[in-house]
Amino acid sequence: MPKGATTRLVALYAVAVLLGIASAWLWVTRIGISGVDAGQWRVNLLAGSTQADAYTRARIAIFALLALDRRETLYYTTDRDDGGASLRAECPYSIALRPPTARWWSITAYAADGFLFPNKTRRYSVSGENANVDADGWARFLIAPQSSAAGVDARITTSGAGAMRLTLRLYQPDEGLQRAPQALDPPRIKKIGRCVS
Amino acid sequence: MNTWRHALTAFGVLLVTHALTVWTLPRVIMWRVMSVASAETNPAGTFLPPPTDHTARRIVMPSPDLLYATCSLSLRDGPIRVSFDGHYPRYWSIALYAANSDNFFVAGDRNNADQPVRWLVSTPSQNATASSPAAERQITAPSDRVFLLMRLLVNDDPAVLAEAERARRSLRCTNTVES
Repeated sequence: MPKGATTRLVALYAVAVLLGIASAWLWVTRIGISGVDAGQWRVNLLAGSTQADAYTRARIAIFALLALDRRETLYYTTDRDDGGASLRAECPYSIALRPPTARWWSITAYAADGFLFPNKTRRYSVSGENANVDADGWARFLIAPQSSAAGVDARITTSGAGAMRLTLRLYQPDEGLQRAPQALDPPRIKKIGRCVS
Repeated sequence: MNTWRHALTAFGVLLVTHALTVWTLPRVIMWRVMSVASAETNPAGTFLPPPTDHTARRIVMPSPDLLYATCSLSLRDGPIRVSFDGHYPRYWSIALYAANSDNFFVAGDRNNADQPVRWLVSTPSQNATASSPAAERQITAPSDRVFLLMRLLVNDDPAVLAEAERARRSLRCTNTVES
Protein backbone atom coordinates (compact mmCIF):
# COMPACT_ATOMS: atom_id res chain seq x y z
CA MET A 1 0.00 0.00 0.00
CA PRO A 2 1.41 3.43 -0.90
CA LYS A 3 2.56 5.52 2.05
CA GLY A 4 0.02 8.26 1.32
CA ALA A 5 -2.86 5.75 1.42
CA THR A 6 -1.65 4.33 4.76
CA THR A 7 -1.48 7.82 6.25
CA ARG A 8 -5.02 8.55 5.06
CA LEU A 9 -6.28 5.30 6.63
CA VAL A 10 -4.60 6.02 9.96
CA ALA A 11 -6.11 9.51 9.90
CA LEU A 12 -9.55 8.08 9.07
CA TYR A 13 -9.49 5.67 12.01
CA ALA A 14 -8.05 8.28 14.35
CA VAL A 15 -10.91 10.62 13.41
CA ALA A 16 -13.38 7.76 13.98
CA VAL A 17 -11.99 7.16 17.48
CA LEU A 18 -12.05 10.87 18.32
CA LEU A 19 -15.60 11.22 17.01
CA GLY A 20 -16.63 8.18 19.03
CA ILE A 21 -15.26 9.70 22.24
CA ALA A 22 -16.60 13.19 21.47
CA SER A 23 -20.08 11.95 20.52
CA ALA A 24 -20.27 9.88 23.71
CA TRP A 25 -19.20 12.84 25.84
CA LEU A 26 -21.68 15.18 24.14
CA TRP A 27 -24.46 12.60 24.33
CA VAL A 28 -23.88 12.09 28.03
CA THR A 29 -23.31 15.72 29.04
CA ARG A 30 -25.52 17.71 26.68
CA ILE A 31 -28.67 15.61 26.73
CA GLY A 32 -30.55 16.07 29.96
CA ILE A 33 -31.25 13.24 32.33
CA SER A 34 -34.50 11.54 31.40
CA GLY A 35 -37.21 10.93 33.93
CA VAL A 36 -40.69 11.93 34.96
CA ASP A 37 -41.74 15.49 35.61
CA ALA A 38 -43.67 17.18 38.39
CA GLY A 39 -44.10 20.74 37.17
CA GLN A 40 -40.62 22.08 36.35
CA TRP A 41 -39.00 19.38 38.48
CA ARG A 42 -37.67 16.14 37.06
CA VAL A 43 -36.79 12.91 38.84
CA ASN A 44 -34.84 10.08 37.26
CA LEU A 45 -36.24 6.78 38.47
CA LEU A 46 -33.10 4.85 37.61
CA ALA A 47 -30.63 7.06 39.51
CA GLY A 48 -28.43 4.76 41.56
CA SER A 49 -30.36 1.73 40.37
CA THR A 50 -28.78 -1.49 39.17
CA GLN A 51 -31.40 -1.35 36.38
CA ALA A 52 -29.94 1.85 34.91
CA ASP A 53 -28.95 1.81 31.25
CA ALA A 54 -25.41 2.75 30.26
CA TYR A 55 -26.27 6.35 29.33
CA THR A 56 -28.19 6.98 32.55
CA ARG A 57 -25.37 5.43 34.59
CA ALA A 58 -22.81 7.68 32.88
CA ARG A 59 -24.96 10.81 33.35
CA ILE A 60 -25.59 10.04 37.01
CA ALA A 61 -21.86 9.42 37.53
CA ILE A 62 -21.08 12.86 36.14
CA PHE A 63 -23.95 14.91 37.56
CA ALA A 64 -25.13 13.06 40.67
CA LEU A 65 -22.54 10.45 41.63
CA LEU A 66 -23.42 8.15 44.53
CA ALA A 67 -27.16 8.69 44.25
CA LEU A 68 -29.35 6.32 46.20
CA ASP A 69 -31.97 4.03 44.76
CA ARG A 70 -35.45 5.59 44.61
CA ARG A 71 -36.78 3.37 47.42
CA GLU A 72 -34.36 5.23 49.69
CA THR A 73 -34.26 8.66 48.06
CA LEU A 74 -35.96 10.56 45.26
CA TYR A 75 -33.90 13.38 43.76
CA TYR A 76 -35.95 16.02 41.94
CA THR A 77 -33.94 18.65 40.12
CA THR A 78 -34.75 21.76 38.14
CA ASP A 79 -32.91 24.56 36.41
CA ARG A 80 -36.11 26.48 35.53
CA ASP A 81 -38.50 28.74 37.38
CA ASP A 82 -42.28 28.37 37.09
CA GLY A 83 -42.26 30.56 34.00
CA GLY A 84 -39.77 28.27 32.25
CA ALA A 85 -36.85 30.74 32.47
CA SER A 86 -33.40 29.43 33.41
CA LEU A 87 -32.48 29.83 37.07
CA ARG A 88 -29.61 32.28 37.56
CA ALA A 89 -27.28 32.65 40.52
CA GLU A 90 -27.51 36.44 40.28
CA CYS A 91 -31.31 36.55 40.61
CA PRO A 92 -33.61 36.34 43.67
CA TYR A 93 -36.36 33.72 43.83
CA SER A 94 -39.17 32.89 46.18
CA ILE A 95 -39.82 29.22 46.86
CA ALA A 96 -43.10 27.84 48.18
CA LEU A 97 -43.82 24.21 48.82
CA ARG A 98 -46.08 21.94 50.74
CA PRO A 99 -43.77 19.66 52.73
CA PRO A 100 -43.61 16.39 50.77
CA THR A 101 -44.54 13.06 52.34
CA ALA A 102 -41.12 11.68 53.14
CA ARG A 103 -38.99 10.91 56.19
CA TRP A 104 -37.24 14.19 55.57
CA TRP A 105 -36.72 16.57 52.69
CA SER A 106 -34.36 19.32 51.69
CA ILE A 107 -33.87 21.82 48.88
CA THR A 108 -30.28 22.71 48.01
CA ALA A 109 -28.93 25.19 45.45
CA TYR A 110 -25.97 24.21 43.28
CA ALA A 111 -23.85 26.22 40.88
CA ALA A 112 -23.43 25.16 37.26
CA ASP A 113 -20.48 22.94 38.22
CA GLY A 114 -22.65 20.89 40.59
CA PHE A 115 -21.09 22.24 43.79
CA LEU A 116 -22.37 24.52 46.56
CA PHE A 117 -22.13 28.27 46.17
CA PRO A 118 -19.34 29.91 48.19
CA ASN A 119 -21.17 31.21 51.20
CA LYS A 120 -19.83 32.88 54.35
CA THR A 121 -23.04 32.26 56.27
CA ARG A 122 -23.31 28.57 55.29
CA ARG A 123 -26.86 29.01 54.04
CA TYR A 124 -26.89 26.22 51.48
CA SER A 125 -30.20 24.46 51.96
CA VAL A 126 -33.61 24.43 53.60
CA SER A 127 -34.98 21.21 55.00
CA GLY A 128 -38.01 19.84 56.74
CA GLU A 129 -36.17 20.38 60.01
CA ASN A 130 -35.64 24.11 59.67
CA ALA A 131 -38.38 25.26 57.28
CA ASN A 132 -41.06 27.55 58.64
CA VAL A 133 -44.45 26.15 57.66
CA ASP A 134 -47.31 28.65 57.80
CA ALA A 135 -50.89 28.04 58.93
CA ASP A 136 -51.90 27.11 55.38
CA GLY A 137 -49.31 24.35 55.28
CA TRP A 138 -46.83 26.11 53.00
CA ALA A 139 -43.10 26.45 53.60
CA ARG A 140 -41.87 29.67 52.02
CA PHE A 141 -38.35 31.02 51.71
CA LEU A 142 -36.04 33.06 49.51
CA ILE A 143 -33.02 32.12 47.47
CA ALA A 144 -31.01 35.22 46.59
CA PRO A 145 -27.48 36.47 45.93
CA GLN A 146 -25.76 37.25 49.23
CA SER A 147 -24.79 40.66 47.84
CA SER A 148 -28.42 41.63 47.11
CA ALA A 149 -30.98 43.31 49.38
CA ALA A 150 -33.03 40.08 49.41
CA GLY A 151 -29.88 38.19 50.39
CA VAL A 152 -30.21 39.44 53.97
CA ASP A 153 -33.42 37.47 54.50
CA ALA A 154 -32.65 34.62 52.11
CA ARG A 155 -32.51 31.12 53.57
CA ILE A 156 -30.20 30.08 50.73
CA THR A 157 -27.66 32.52 49.38
CA THR A 158 -25.86 32.35 46.06
CA SER A 159 -22.79 34.08 44.70
CA GLY A 160 -21.31 34.90 41.35
CA ALA A 161 -23.19 34.67 38.08
CA GLY A 162 -24.31 31.81 35.93
CA ALA A 163 -26.68 28.91 35.86
CA MET A 164 -28.19 27.50 39.05
CA ARG A 165 -29.78 24.15 39.73
CA LEU A 166 -32.03 23.20 42.64
CA THR A 167 -32.26 19.70 44.04
CA LEU A 168 -35.15 18.50 46.16
CA ARG A 169 -34.17 15.39 48.11
CA LEU A 170 -36.85 13.18 49.56
CA TYR A 171 -35.31 10.62 51.88
CA GLN A 172 -37.49 7.57 52.39
CA PRO A 173 -40.42 8.95 50.41
CA ASP A 174 -43.79 7.36 51.08
CA GLU A 175 -44.81 4.45 48.89
CA GLY A 176 -47.31 6.50 46.91
CA LEU A 177 -44.57 8.88 45.77
CA GLN A 178 -42.19 6.01 45.04
CA ARG A 179 -44.80 4.48 42.74
CA ALA A 180 -45.86 7.79 41.14
CA PRO A 181 -43.16 10.45 41.60
CA GLN A 182 -44.99 12.70 39.14
CA ALA A 183 -47.72 13.07 41.78
CA LEU A 184 -45.44 15.34 43.83
CA ASP A 185 -46.94 18.75 44.50
CA PRO A 186 -43.94 20.58 43.03
CA PRO A 187 -42.23 23.45 44.86
CA ARG A 188 -43.12 26.76 43.21
CA ILE A 189 -40.25 28.96 42.04
CA LYS A 190 -40.89 32.61 41.21
CA LYS A 191 -38.34 35.22 40.27
CA ILE A 192 -38.75 38.30 42.43
CA GLY A 193 -37.07 41.65 42.05
CA ARG A 194 -34.02 42.48 40.02
CA CYS A 195 -30.95 40.44 39.37
CA VAL A 196 -27.63 41.82 40.59
CA SER A 197 -25.15 42.63 37.89
CA MET B 1 -15.07 -0.71 -3.17
CA ASN B 2 -12.10 -0.49 -0.86
CA THR B 3 -13.10 3.05 0.09
CA TRP B 4 -16.58 1.90 1.14
CA ARG B 5 -15.11 -0.94 3.15
CA HIS B 6 -12.80 1.43 5.03
CA ALA B 7 -15.60 3.94 5.54
CA LEU B 8 -17.84 1.24 7.02
CA THR B 9 -15.04 -0.06 9.21
CA ALA B 10 -14.31 3.48 10.43
CA PHE B 11 -18.01 3.90 11.25
CA GLY B 12 -17.86 0.66 13.21
CA VAL B 13 -14.82 1.93 15.09
CA LEU B 14 -16.74 5.13 15.89
CA LEU B 15 -19.70 3.17 17.28
CA VAL B 16 -17.51 0.87 19.36
CA THR B 17 -15.49 3.80 20.73
CA HIS B 18 -18.72 5.64 21.56
CA ALA B 19 -20.13 2.63 23.44
CA LEU B 20 -16.85 1.96 25.20
CA THR B 21 -16.59 5.58 26.35
CA VAL B 22 -20.13 5.54 27.78
CA TRP B 23 -19.40 2.22 29.51
CA THR B 24 -16.05 3.39 30.86
CA LEU B 25 -17.04 6.84 32.19
CA PRO B 26 -18.76 5.78 35.45
CA ARG B 27 -16.04 3.20 36.14
CA VAL B 28 -13.26 5.73 35.71
CA ILE B 29 -15.06 8.26 37.92
CA MET B 30 -15.65 5.63 40.62
CA TRP B 31 -12.05 4.43 40.38
CA ARG B 32 -10.88 8.00 40.93
CA VAL B 33 -13.22 8.55 43.89
CA MET B 34 -12.17 5.27 45.51
CA SER B 35 -8.48 5.91 44.95
CA VAL B 36 -8.62 9.36 46.52
CA ALA B 37 -10.68 8.14 49.48
CA SER B 38 -8.49 5.10 50.11
CA ALA B 39 -5.38 7.29 50.18
CA GLU B 40 -6.82 9.07 53.23
CA THR B 41 -8.15 6.03 55.03
CA ASN B 42 -7.57 5.85 58.79
CA PRO B 43 -6.73 2.66 60.77
CA ALA B 44 -10.47 1.86 61.06
CA GLY B 45 -10.56 1.62 57.26
CA THR B 46 -12.71 4.73 56.97
CA PHE B 47 -12.37 8.24 55.64
CA LEU B 48 -14.16 10.95 57.61
CA PRO B 49 -14.50 14.14 55.57
CA PRO B 50 -15.23 17.42 57.36
CA PRO B 51 -18.85 18.66 57.53
CA THR B 52 -20.07 19.59 54.06
CA ASP B 53 -19.71 23.15 52.90
CA HIS B 54 -18.78 24.91 49.66
CA THR B 55 -15.19 23.73 49.95
CA ALA B 56 -16.33 20.10 49.48
CA ARG B 57 -15.49 19.64 45.82
CA ARG B 58 -14.67 15.98 45.39
CA ILE B 59 -18.10 14.61 44.59
CA VAL B 60 -20.80 16.61 42.84
CA MET B 61 -24.00 17.61 44.61
CA PRO B 62 -22.85 17.12 48.20
CA SER B 63 -25.63 17.53 50.75
CA PRO B 64 -24.93 20.14 53.46
CA ASP B 65 -27.51 18.39 55.66
CA LEU B 66 -25.48 15.21 55.93
CA LEU B 67 -22.27 14.16 57.59
CA TYR B 68 -20.48 11.48 55.58
CA ALA B 69 -18.08 8.62 56.16
CA THR B 70 -16.66 6.42 53.42
CA CYS B 71 -14.73 3.19 52.95
CA SER B 72 -13.03 1.99 49.79
CA LEU B 73 -13.33 -1.78 49.90
CA SER B 74 -11.01 -3.97 47.88
CA LEU B 75 -12.32 -7.52 47.96
CA ARG B 76 -9.41 -8.97 46.00
CA ASP B 77 -7.70 -10.27 49.14
CA GLY B 78 -10.88 -11.54 50.77
CA PRO B 79 -14.20 -10.39 52.24
CA ILE B 80 -14.43 -7.14 54.18
CA ARG B 81 -16.12 -6.86 57.53
CA VAL B 82 -18.24 -3.73 58.08
CA SER B 83 -19.51 -2.76 61.50
CA PHE B 84 -21.27 0.21 63.05
CA ASP B 85 -22.77 0.50 66.52
CA GLY B 86 -26.10 1.72 65.12
CA HIS B 87 -26.62 4.29 67.85
CA TYR B 88 -27.72 7.49 66.17
CA PRO B 89 -31.18 8.88 66.93
CA ARG B 90 -31.65 10.56 63.54
CA TYR B 91 -31.66 9.41 59.91
CA TRP B 92 -28.62 7.39 58.88
CA SER B 93 -27.90 5.00 56.07
CA ILE B 94 -24.98 3.00 54.74
CA ALA B 95 -24.96 2.44 50.98
CA LEU B 96 -22.72 0.18 48.94
CA TYR B 97 -21.75 1.07 45.36
CA ALA B 98 -20.26 -1.23 42.77
CA ALA B 99 -17.29 -0.29 40.59
CA ASN B 100 -19.72 0.84 37.88
CA SER B 101 -21.40 3.27 40.38
CA ASP B 102 -24.59 1.22 40.91
CA ASN B 103 -26.05 1.41 44.41
CA PHE B 104 -26.51 -2.33 44.96
CA PHE B 105 -27.27 -2.26 48.66
CA VAL B 106 -28.48 0.22 51.27
CA ALA B 107 -29.62 -0.13 54.85
CA GLY B 108 -30.14 2.33 57.65
CA ASP B 109 -32.01 3.18 60.80
CA ARG B 110 -35.23 2.07 59.13
CA ASN B 111 -33.90 -1.50 59.04
CA ASN B 112 -31.51 -1.41 61.99
CA ALA B 113 -33.07 0.95 64.54
CA ASP B 114 -30.52 1.14 67.35
CA GLN B 115 -29.15 -2.27 66.35
CA PRO B 116 -25.49 -2.79 65.51
CA VAL B 117 -24.56 -3.30 61.87
CA ARG B 118 -22.43 -6.38 61.16
CA TRP B 119 -21.90 -7.13 57.51
CA LEU B 120 -19.53 -9.34 55.59
CA VAL B 121 -19.08 -8.06 52.05
CA SER B 122 -17.68 -10.53 49.55
CA THR B 123 -17.61 -11.36 45.85
CA PRO B 124 -19.71 -14.23 44.46
CA SER B 125 -16.59 -16.41 44.15
CA GLN B 126 -15.54 -16.01 47.80
CA ASN B 127 -16.86 -18.55 50.26
CA ALA B 128 -17.70 -16.02 52.94
CA THR B 129 -20.38 -18.06 54.69
CA ALA B 130 -17.95 -20.52 56.24
CA SER B 131 -15.92 -17.83 58.00
CA SER B 132 -18.83 -15.67 59.06
CA PRO B 133 -20.48 -15.61 62.50
CA ALA B 134 -24.22 -16.27 62.41
CA ALA B 135 -25.07 -12.71 63.44
CA GLU B 136 -23.27 -11.29 60.44
CA ARG B 137 -25.24 -10.36 57.35
CA GLN B 138 -23.76 -11.67 54.09
CA ILE B 139 -23.68 -9.19 51.24
CA THR B 140 -22.51 -10.27 47.83
CA ALA B 141 -20.95 -7.48 45.79
CA PRO B 142 -21.12 -7.47 41.98
CA SER B 143 -17.52 -6.22 41.71
CA ASP B 144 -14.28 -6.66 43.64
CA ARG B 145 -14.05 -2.96 44.37
CA VAL B 146 -16.85 -1.46 46.44
CA PHE B 147 -17.41 2.04 47.76
CA LEU B 148 -19.23 2.45 51.05
CA LEU B 149 -20.95 5.75 51.82
CA MET B 150 -22.46 6.45 55.22
CA ARG B 151 -24.90 9.35 55.57
CA LEU B 152 -25.93 10.88 58.90
CA LEU B 153 -28.53 13.63 59.07
CA VAL B 154 -27.18 16.64 60.96
CA ASN B 155 -27.97 20.29 61.54
CA ASP B 156 -26.20 23.30 63.02
CA ASP B 157 -26.72 22.18 66.61
CA PRO B 158 -23.25 21.39 68.03
CA ALA B 159 -24.73 18.58 70.15
CA VAL B 160 -26.18 16.91 67.04
CA LEU B 161 -22.88 17.29 65.20
CA ALA B 162 -20.98 15.81 68.13
CA GLU B 163 -23.35 12.84 68.28
CA ALA B 164 -23.02 12.27 64.51
CA GLU B 165 -19.25 12.51 64.80
CA ARG B 166 -19.23 9.91 67.57
CA ALA B 167 -21.52 7.65 65.52
CA ARG B 168 -19.44 7.78 62.35
CA ARG B 169 -16.27 7.06 64.31
CA SER B 170 -17.81 3.72 65.30
CA LEU B 171 -17.87 2.66 61.64
CA ARG B 172 -15.24 0.00 60.86
CA CYS B 173 -14.26 -1.51 57.52
CA THR B 174 -11.70 -4.24 58.15
CA ASN B 175 -10.13 -6.91 56.03
CA THR B 176 -11.05 -10.38 57.28
CA VAL B 177 -7.48 -11.52 56.69
CA GLU B 178 -6.25 -9.01 59.27
CA SER B 179 -9.17 -9.05 61.73
